[in-house]
Amino acid sequence: MNKFMNWIDRRLPVSNFVKNHLSQYYAPKNFNFFYYFGALAIFIFILQIVTGIFLTINYKPDAAQAFASVEYIMRDVEWGWLIRYLHSTGASFFFIVIYLHMFRAMLYGSYKNPRELLWLFGMLIFVLLMAEAFMGYLLPWGQMSYWGAQVIISLFGAIPYFGESLALWIRGDYVISDATLNRFFAFHVIALPLLLFALIYLHLAALHTTGSNNPDGIEIKQNKNEDGIPKDGIPFHPYYTVKDIFGLSVFLLVFTFIVFFMPELGGFFLEKDNFVPADPLKTPEHIVPVWYFTPFYAILRAIPDKLGGVLAMGLAIFVLFLLPWIDRCSTKSIRYRSKTYKVLLSLFVISFISLGYIGMSAATPIMTWIGRFFTLIYFGFFVALYFTSVNEKTKEVPDRVTMHD
Amino acid sequence: MIRLLTFVSILVTFNFAQAASNNIQLKPVLIDLNNKASLQRGAKIYVNNCLGCHTLKYQRYVKFIDHLSLTKEEIEKNLIFTTNKDGEQTKIGSLILNSVNTDTAIEAFGVVPPDLTLIARSRGSEWLYTFLTSFYEDDSRPLGVNNTLYPNVGMPHVLSWMEGLKKAQLSDKGQIIYAYKGSMTAEEYDSTIVDLVNFLVYVSEPAQLDRYRIGFWVIIFLSLFSFVAYLLKNEYWKDVK
Repeated sequence: MNKFMNWIDRRLPVSNFVKNHLSQYYAPKNFNFFYYFGALAIFIFILQIVTGIFLTINYKPDAAQAFASVEYIMRDVEWGWLIRYLHSTGASFFFIVIYLHMFRAMLYGSYKNPRELLWLFGMLIFVLLMAEAFMGYLLPWGQMSYWGAQVIISLFGAIPYFGESLALWIRGDYVISDATLNRFFAFHVIALPLLLFALIYLHLAALHTTGSNNPDGIEIKQNKNEDGIPKDGIPFHPYYTVKDIFGLSVFLLVFTFIVFFMPELGGFFLEKDNFVPADPLKTPEHIVPVWYFTPFYAILRAIPDKLGGVLAMGLAIFVLFLLPWIDRCSTKSIRYRSKTYKVLLSLFVISFISLGYIGMSAATPIMTWIGRFFTLIYFGFFVALYFTSVNEKTKEVPDRVTMHD
Repeated sequence: MIRLLTFVSILVTFNFAQAASNNIQLKPVLIDLNNKASLQRGAKIYVNNCLGCHTLKYQRYVKFIDHLSLTKEEIEKNLIFTTNKDGEQTKIGSLILNSVNTDTAIEAFGVVPPDLTLIARSRGSEWLYTFLTSFYEDDSRPLGVNNTLYPNVGMPHVLSWMEGLKKAQLSDKGQIIYAYKGSMTAEEYDSTIVDLVNFLVYVSEPAQLDRYRIGFWVIIFLSLFSFVAYLLKNEYWKDVK
């Protein structure tokens, strides 16, 4: 075995890679619950790729056949229903996991110096993931697939001068049609997954350059022993591999419960109207995006002007990119930050969840006004953070990490 | 009795507030996919009364062997009534289609009768149950019937030969009056519709028969696995101080 590994290592640095990134890669020993979601996101990415490959084997990206081919998968393909539900539930869980992963960064200041690039790569992954999910949702070619895409793409038409041409260029037709379905299929199964793969690689490369942050926001590399090993660090393998296996098995317990017992999740994961084939002549009563888009959809609807709404929605996402520079407090973890930050972050979470709810409700005048209120809070968070974080009264950060478990 | 009361209240509500017809409360219905006899009866009612207009174009007859515990012969004898152009009986592996001419259908009903394979997923079982028990006499409509849940629906009351045809008004004592009687009592008709809805729920997602059963074992396995993974994690982590 040793001889074999030597042979390999002279040609490919496998042992070195394992050392540098697993067995001698030191991660802070105080990771808590929120630190499961990065590994889980990678798991779901792989799950989506694998189930996606099996789906493309039987799916037909053709407006005349797409809907029937999905039903064919659900009924006539051996285990097709399971593969499809894993993929559809996986899409929603990807966002659950990513939102918690991002929230973790906000709790413990993981986007701050020196991890700004790490955050930017992560944000790019988030934006691409939204595009990936949006295009994937068109493929079953149900009513909600069709009209959801119609609404979202027509938003580009709000851009002055070239908006309409842009929307036309994206659709490849004047309405959502077979041409749109075909190109969305191409983007969904190859273009975006490739980009995602590259960005995830960069995200991990950046992570392993700076090392992980932790719930105390302490840089463990600043406190090393005589061998140059961080005193608060433990080798990723075996400690975090076994811990992540445990996390993954609990995650799978929840995930498979939904896959097997409630794959539609009451219309949240699979919308009722999407069991009706797309009909360009019949607009559904309520066109609602899937839950993971609804916070941004609510912001779009909160602004009375179409272009204004589109800009506000774009800004709501773009402003997150700037977070490392908006938050000017050098203390990372919420554990040692001021009451002000705790209140602001709580308000932000409340507004995000409320906007999500408003985005899936019918746009009554009252709902729109509540939506405006929470939109204000959403953006207010960033403004208030910019001004309060510069001279924030923080607690003293200890030298060594604390264990809570 | 409760169902009857609900229905009466629906009719009453309808008389007072025709405009609010879309807010009719749906009646609960108990779905039991393990009741093979009910599914078999539902399939029989469907092919005899519904299939003439409404296809089940994503479903194949052959699935009834496993799912409804029927034999190939039983299916060919009792459920397949269509033929190909040469007059040969439709093969058991075929999708469940009919030969409705779309032009004729539009002329007769104003629309092509929709495929119903997925109707239970898009509308829900309670909607179907309520719809099928909410037809009443209405002379202002071309086919003489209307529906409280789906006002001015193009579909005639196909099952009126079973149920009879209810009048819109109740008697002075608050009882349902029939314009004409059908072959069944109210209770018999109700259980017939429950079977039919049960069948439609099955046909909308045959995987239901598998996923609950398999899911049970998956959850048990993962619970045990999580427990072992937890012990393993603790074993490694006991030296982390």
